[in-house]
Amino acid sequence: MAYKFDFGAIVPHWELLVDGMILTAELTVIGAVVGVGLGIMGAWARASRAPVISQIVGVYVELIRNTPFLVQLFFIFFGLPALGVKLTEFQAAVLAMIVNLGAYSTEIIRAGILAIPQGQIEAAQSLAMNRVQIFRYVVLLPALKKIWPALSSQIVIVMLGSSVCSQIAAEELTFGANYIQAINFRAFEVYFVVTGLYLVMSILLRMGLKVLGNYLFERRRHV
Amino acid sequence: MSEFSLWDIVYNLLLAGRWTVLLSLTAFVLGGIVGLLLLMVRTAGNPWVVRFVRGYVELFQGTPLLMQLFIVFFGLPLIGLDVSPWVAATFGLTLFTSAFLTEIWRGCVESVGKGQWEASASLGMNFTQQMRYIVLPQALRIAIPPTVGFSVQVVKGTAVASIIGFVELTKAGTMITNATYAPFTVYGCVAVMYFLICYPLSLFARHLEGKFRNVAR
Amino acid sequence: MKQFFKTAIAAVAMLAAPLGVASAGALDSISEAGVLKVAVPQDFPPFGSVGTDMQPKGYDIDMAALIAEDLGVKLELVPVTSANRIPYLTTGKVDLVISSLGKNPDREKVIDFSAPYAPFYNGVFGPADISAEKADDLAGMSVGVTRGAIEDLELTKIAPADVDIKRYEDNNGTISAFLSGQVDLIATGNVTAAAIIERNPPRKPEPKFLIKNSPCYVGLNKEEPEFMAKVNEIIAASMADGRLNAIAEKWLGIPLPEKL
Repeated sequence: MAYKFDFGAIVPHWELLVDGMILTAELTVIGAVVGVGLGIMGAWARASRAPVISQIVGVYVELIRNTPFLVQLFFIFFGLPALGVKLTEFQAAVLAMIVNLGAYSTEIIRAGILAIPQGQIEAAQSLAMNRVQIFRYVVLLPALKKIWPALSSQIVIVMLGSSVCSQIAAEELTFGANYIQAINFRAFEVYFVVTGLYLVMSILLRMGLKVLGNYLFERRRHV
Repeated sequence: MSEFSLWDIVYNLLLAGRWTVLLSLTAFVLGGIVGLLLLMVRTAGNPWVVRFVRGYVELFQGTPLLMQLFIVFFGLPLIGLDVSPWVAATFGLTLFTSAFLTEIWRGCVESVGKGQWEASASLGMNFTQQMRYIVLPQALRIAIPPTVGFSVQVVKGTAVASIIGFVELTKAGTMITNATYAPFTVYGCVAVMYFLICYPLSLFARHLEGKFRNVAR
Repeated sequence: MKQFFKTAIAAVAMLAAPLGVASAGALDSISEAGVLKVAVPQDFPPFGSVGTDMQPKGYDIDMAALIAEDLGVKLELVPVTSANRIPYLTTGKVDLVISSLGKNPDREKVIDFSAPYAPFYNGVFGPADISAEKADDLAGMSVGVTRGAIEDLELTKIAPADVDIKRYEDNNGTISAFLSGQVDLIATGNVTAAAIIERNPPRKPEPKFLIKNSPCYVGLNKEEPEFMAKVNEIIAASMADGRLNAIAEKWLGIPLPEKL
């Protein structure tokens, strides 16, 4: 093969990759925090005894989970302006990630809530805890603890999925990769490097979530 | 400029949708087999094997599928091994799917209580028998809903196979949009078709989930 | 349906087929195989887009057919995107890239470029109520481009620092962004802008100023001097006998300029 690798050709463009990693990290953190928050509310709504709200949330979850993220992103970015809502590419990307992760985490957290034995809730009621207290201490925390690994995996998936945000000109990591290879045609070198960067980011994210999980769930146990 | 009627759009998307289905099935069946093998060797517990499987899962869960396919399809020829798009897609999707499935199933196997292992060992069962008769049947019950749920992600994940030349649903949508400049109609149809493929799977997962929960109680 | 199963079966059969890479000169291996494999665009009308049968058509596809005909071999089209067209070439999965490639020094380190085969004028376009006669007038505005295209690279060089350049994945992204009002202006090829105006959208991309005359070149692997000479010979011959001009009139609606 006549092809000669030249990883040095990427060096002049390193800022694009660093900026891309920062934006990917920002999208992931905001998307994860707000998305999981949305998921908690969604799961509560699903578990609540108000059938209309529960059904609306159900439709939202199914619509999002069964269509591709890219299509959701396009509708938010190119479709909403027609309704008079104009978002920057960053806002659109963040919104799409929140909406997407919100649907998945609703489902994951709901599964955790269903696994809480009814007796625990009855016990809490007999201790005269109010509904908010019961949801927070007896239902939500143990449920989150149970599904934390699944939720962590989903957050990593969403981070990797954020790579399609480059299609609406959000300058995240894949954007940097595709831009560099368009300038200098060094697709291999760039993709090898970017794959490595994604791997590092997802390992760090997973570790971070593990630490967060320990902080949230383990400490309380001994209180 | 091409004049696509709505029917032309739908018809061409349907044709491309067959690749989506075929790629998904390939990924799921082969990924399931490899994932099961990985699960077996990992549960058997040689520390080196455990480390290898952990690294394997970390690698293929932690990098974008797009990059994995790219490197398999375009990277192997650089070391003198030319692969067809089919080989690359099969290989790449299998690696990706098996990494996720083996991890999902590991959680399910671990949820089978230690006492079950000990009881079956005391009956003189070897590892294969323990797996076959005691652990897997119990783990399977918990494993089916998330497995079917993951299949929805596989279906959507096959969209990136366009990087190595497959014209599947998403790619066909992009191609038609670039010929018609009518993104809403086209992507609307694309979304509907994914929904039609994925929603029955989701319903099936929910059905199984409900069924097994009742059995468990 | 039958065709689909045939393709699927052939594809599965290829799993078992022995694999190898030819190392002979490209020209020899092409005439030996009797097939010329060319990477062409399918997301960039009028150079390459799909018809209702999903087959690629356009200037670049006709150019590929012309070269195959003069080489006396069959043509096999491989639809590519901007992200994978160069890897297809450098790994020997195609013999040529005819994908409205523009040339720059960085790119020339990776692949070789033939003589130009198509004119390409790119410029800045926008609605009538925005006035911009040169790059400096763009200050404070947002301009959509297709990422990594020559107009992107050139505009990035000449635009003032406070121009907000938004880089989209493909032509469709750039056009959708303009039509939905996500950007004030777009930088693109004159033929692309003309094609949008033809559809009579609410926002019309009217010409503002020319960025660069950047003709398109055929991309070849490095160290293929014989093949390069042959391709250039075919381009020169087709210019002389009017065949290239016919392609230009068919797809661009204008005759070839005197000099590319």
